[in-house]
Amino acid sequence: MARGFMGKILRVDLTAKSVITEEVDEKIARKYLGGKGYGVYLLYQYIKEYAMRGISVKDMDPLGPENPLIFMTGPGTGVPGFPSSGRHHVMALKSPLTGSIGSGNSGGTWGATLKFAGFDGVIFEGASDVPVYLSIVDGKAQLRDAGDLWGKNTFDTTRILKKAVGRKRASVMCISTAGENLVPMAMIMNDDHRALGRAGVGAIMGSKGLKAVVVAGKEKVPYAKMDEFVPVSKRCLEAIENNPVSGEGLPAYGTAVLVNVINTAGSLPYKNWQTSVNPDAEKISGEALAEKYLVKKGSCWGCNIACGRITSVKSGPYQILATEGPEYESLWALGSATAVKDLAAITKANHYCDEFGIDPISVGSTIAAAMELNEKKCIPEDDLQGLDLTFGNAAAMVEAVWRIAHKTGFGKYMAAGSRKLCEFYGHPELSMSVKGLEMPAYDPRGIKGIGLNYATSNRGGCHVTGYTIAPEIVGIPEKLDPLATEGKAQWAKVFQDFTCVVNSTVNCLFTTFALGAGDFAELLSAVTGWDYTDAEILKIGERIYNLERVVMNRLGIDGKDDTLPPRLLNEPLPEGPAKGQVADLDKMLGEYYKLRGWVDGVPTAAKLKELEIEL
Amino acid sequence: MVTVEIILFASLRDRYRVRKTVVECDGTTRNLIESAARRLGKSFLASVYDSDKDKVRDDLIFAINGRNIKDLKGEIELKNGDVVAIFPPVAGG
Ligand code: SF4
Repeated sequence: MARGFMGKILRVDLTAKSVITEEVDEKIARKYLGGKGYGVYLLYQYIKEYAMRGISVKDMDPLGPENPLIFMTGPGTGVPGFPSSGRHHVMALKSPLTGSIGSGNSGGTWGATLKFAGFDGVIFEGASDVPVYLSIVDGKAQLRDAGDLWGKNTFDTTRILKKAVGRKRASVMCISTAGENLVPMAMIMNDDHRALGRAGVGAIMGSKGLKAVVVAGKEKVPYAKMDEFVPVSKRCLEAIENNPVSGEGLPAYGTAVLVNVINTAGSLPYKNWQTSVNPDAEKISGEALAEKYLVKKGSCWGCNIACGRITSVKSGPYQILATEGPEYESLWALGSATAVKDLAAITKANHYCDEFGIDPISVGSTIAAAMELNEKKCIPEDDLQGLDLTFGNAAAMVEAVWRIAHKTGFGKYMAAGSRKLCEFYGHPELSMSVKGLEMPAYDPRGIKGIGLNYATSNRGGCHVTGYTIAPEIVGIPEKLDPLATEGKAQWAKVFQDFTCVVNSTVNCLFTTFALGAGDFAELLSAVTGWDYTDAEILKIGERIYNLERVVMNRLGIDGKDDTLPPRLLNEPLPEGPAKGQVADLDKMLGEYYKLRGWVDGVPTAAKLKELEIEL
Repeated sequence: MVTVEIILFASLRDRYRVRKTVVECDGTTRNLIESAARRLGKSFLASVYDSDKDKVRDDLIFAINGRNIKDLKGEIELKNGDVVAIFPPVAGG
């Protein structure tokens, strides 16, 4: 087996309660790396197998036993000196929130620790009739009864399982209340506050009766060319430290500093995107968080950026003595989208999201949509059951997060996500989502490239699929005018492809402020022993993005779904530096498809051949 | 002369202990920063302006009425009532 991999993947049949070990397929790893790439390849194998067995993936229940749940690391994960590589990736064939592919990436220590326990990945199939957890310790994997753990929150589950394993460096990944309740916005948590956040992968885990996966081990990841790796690693780590964003901005203020930056650019969505200038942005900004509640910085395994924020609200109705975050996206979703300006309330709601395992972006956006529905008098009072969902009502926002996770009262309606909620009340246009996934904190009417990325992102309204904010706002690797459309198709494509490489390596996207495809080629070549060039690395990314698109096409998702909510296409921003602007998607989408070699959101046979994708 | 409001963010705010200041200048960015430096301290000029290149430092976000100076075409001429927002190197999210 090539170096960088442990060479083994666990396949767990939860219905039969069997665990088998398979070898990593070297040819596939060479072509797709690990993480997301290897996961997408496996998902396509399920589609082929199901077709032979007469199972239609289009009609498949995402919460049924046929939906596989795949956790993968990559050749960079857990390698000391490989920048920010404590991460892991999840893939599922179908998200319960969107009906599209389920995908997510998380930090912490779980990914690295899985490799130290001797494995590159775990595939879960079927569903258990009783709650179980998987223990993977020193090369041994066992399914165990989780009857006593079911009903416990993220922090209790983590503490109990770490104690049960009895190893200081054990790492726990688990679901909490929302995952058990099959809320389609449920997250999978690891190391207390890190999350596979989007597209409801926590509900898939809940549907399988799988409470947790605890890992511990002492194996080392093998390197191919230590003599080549050491200088490349040193150079890359220094580049990260010397870069103004990864070496200065992220460590000093975390992601939360973006609140004021994006609001200044007139692109911080406010009141469910009715405008994108928030008059109270200062009150919920990174600066305010640092002044009031920051305790210290935090970091994932092997990361020299350390963007994490350990925080504490010492007193008051939203007291929470020890927590992490909120990050920029949470501040926006739970704060700006809902017009809540009480930073303590947002911090508490964000803590609930971690405690109960629920995605703050989708939850905040859904609450914001409910607030607009309520403002427009579309929700009968009986349905609300006394919950005053008025923009700016901090107490109601915090209560709503709790109710969604527990599926009680009006929380039952909101738990379905903004698309279903708004459809139910007759106003689908008020759901600020793409392919059913709530969009994050950047208004594409003021930042055009990110709109093209939202529209074409395989998993739906997602910024980290192709983070064009780097050039459009931060100016990395070069400054692009956020209001221009020219050239954005090429940028969106390259960012999407390169992100696939990062998610398959698997390390942190934030390293790409300082590192490019050439750096990844050198790092991966030294670790695996395969000689990658930068062009080859980008081709791997493109291959992964295209195969993922093929999987989605089989689920019935194509060009008709590559769009944005009507508000962004038709309602000009009413104020601020981007006043009068709409998203201008039509000016970019045609060029994007041409560059991709797609027709109506479907890769052509010629493109698949060029990328050596065999269907 | 024109009157311009400057808003500082993140580490610049911490360092100069001011969130907002209003200064008079001749309409050029250089003169704006020089005027602000008279109030905030000499080091402010070097923190924000690259005197060798005679332009605002490349690693900052320097926005005039919300538009990054790097995205504005032609000669920059500040007007009465303009708001200048200055961010140190920031992050993604
Ligand atoms: S940059 Fe932040 S999110 Fe990324 S690995 Fe480091 S600490 Fe974790």
